[in-house]
Amino acid sequence: MKSVIAWTGAVICVTAQTLAGVDHPDFSFRLSADGVAGGGAASDFGSVHQVSQTEWLFSGSYGATSGTLLSWTYLIDPDPFVTGTFTLTNETATARDYVVDFSLSIAPPLKASLLAGQAAGSLTDANGSGSALLTSLGGGFIFSALADETVVQGLMANASQQVSFANGTSSFSGGSFGFPTPIAGPAIDLTIGIRFAFSLSAGDSVSFSSVFVANPVPGPTSLLVAAIFGGMRQRRRF
Amino acid sequence: MRSVIPNQYTLACGSTVAIFLAMPCSAAFVMAGTSIAVSSSAGTGTLSNTLAQVSPNSWTATGSWSTASASVSWTNNTFSWNGSTQSGFANGNIVVRNNTSAAQNFSVVINMGGAVTSPLSFGGSLGGQFVNGSTLPGNLASDGPVWEARADNGLVRSELHNVLLVAQPFQVVSIGDFSFSNSLYNGTVTNSVSLGFSMRLSAGGEASFTSTLALQTIPAPGALALVVLASAFERRRRRR
Repeated sequence: MKSVIAWTGAVICVTAQTLAGVDHPDFSFRLSADGVAGGGAASDFGSVHQVSQTEWLFSGSYGATSGTLLSWTYLIDPDPFVTGTFTLTNETATARDYVVDFSLSIAPPLKASLLAGQAAGSLTDANGSGSALLTSLGGGFIFSALADETVVQGLMANASQQVSFANGTSSFSGGSFGFPTPIAGPAIDLTIGIRFAFSLSAGDSVSFSSVFVANPVPGPTSLLVAAIFGGMRQRRRF
Repeated sequence: MRSVIPNQYTLACGSTVAIFLAMPCSAAFVMAGTSIAVSSSAGTGTLSNTLAQVSPNSWTATGSWSTASASVSWTNNTFSWNGSTQSGFANGNIVVRNNTSAAQNFSVVINMGGAVTSPLSFGGSLGGQFVNGSTLPGNLASDGPVWEARADNGLVRSELHNVLLVAQPFQVVSIGDFSFSNSLYNGTVTNSVSLGFSMRLSAGGEASFTSTLALQTIPAPGALALVVLASAFERRRRRR
């Protein structure tokens, strides 16, 4: 009897610990400005709110890299998706090259994935100089979707955007992939992420809103079950 | 070195926020303070704001307003009044998110307190995106203007009237953009200039805006005549 109580107690303790350990998922960022990198857990630089059973909202800002201010609001689900907005301001007197990454730990791993993503942004002449310029780095993608740190899709290749108006703003669509039909992606074990790589003119600011969703590909068993149910329904109709 | 002034305020729904911070004054422009107001049908929110002085004439504000299921955040909103160049500047980078299960109204006013004599010339811009983080089609809508600039309570300019932007599940749409300059305003500013954002967001919707507002005094005819006369004298003196 004693051992039963002890085992029950142990199970309760483990369960309680496990539940207590159900915290927000790991969501981190990395900011590289002209090759000088910084970053960390997004929760260390702002707030996290659980907004549904599986979704968390991260908001925060980071200004440790001298002369650059980065702020974000992202809704994430480890199921997984990452959707939200970041704003970056180059407060220095020269154009700078930036790479901004946001990375989300996923659960469970996906044996194969279906991907969809989209990006749009706004560029602002924030110092009233009369111009603002945003360009991709080395002709590459401005927006990249990452799976396990590897680029799986990109948008805005060799792109540039400019404002030629004092205090002006220009909004732009960065395109999409996987809408309305998701495209096939790789197996994803650990993380999905988004990367923005661009050069931004002095004193100006840019904001990007994006969505990246990875869904599991239905396995053979679930396909079989769906087929059986479909067959039964058809039979019932006759 | 930045001086940082943290502030915490709890707001009632529909109330007007006031974060009033004493600031140094310039000779021609008098900077009285900044305030950021948020009201929403999503309920009572908690507002926090941190103001940092980044130069003798300018400050940045970073903060948020949030309820359990809705939030407004702003970062690096700059407020600048410069007595020597006779100009003022404000920008608003805000993100508004509705995580409730129903559409909600949001109103955000970024206010820069101060006094300026007329006539004034205004310029500014707006751009933004709407993200539908919901499994159902979502929208950003407004019954009036989404964006407006005011001097005291007088309207300087309003844009994006009666908007209805629809986005499919997990899609991003551009709100569009506009820019303007040399917009003449004849009134004298005795209290403040402000940027206002108003919208209704569907459940799971997020709107982000990047906006600027710049103002400059236009020299009065007498002052202009003096400048012309002075330059004419200078030219004549050089010729001799």
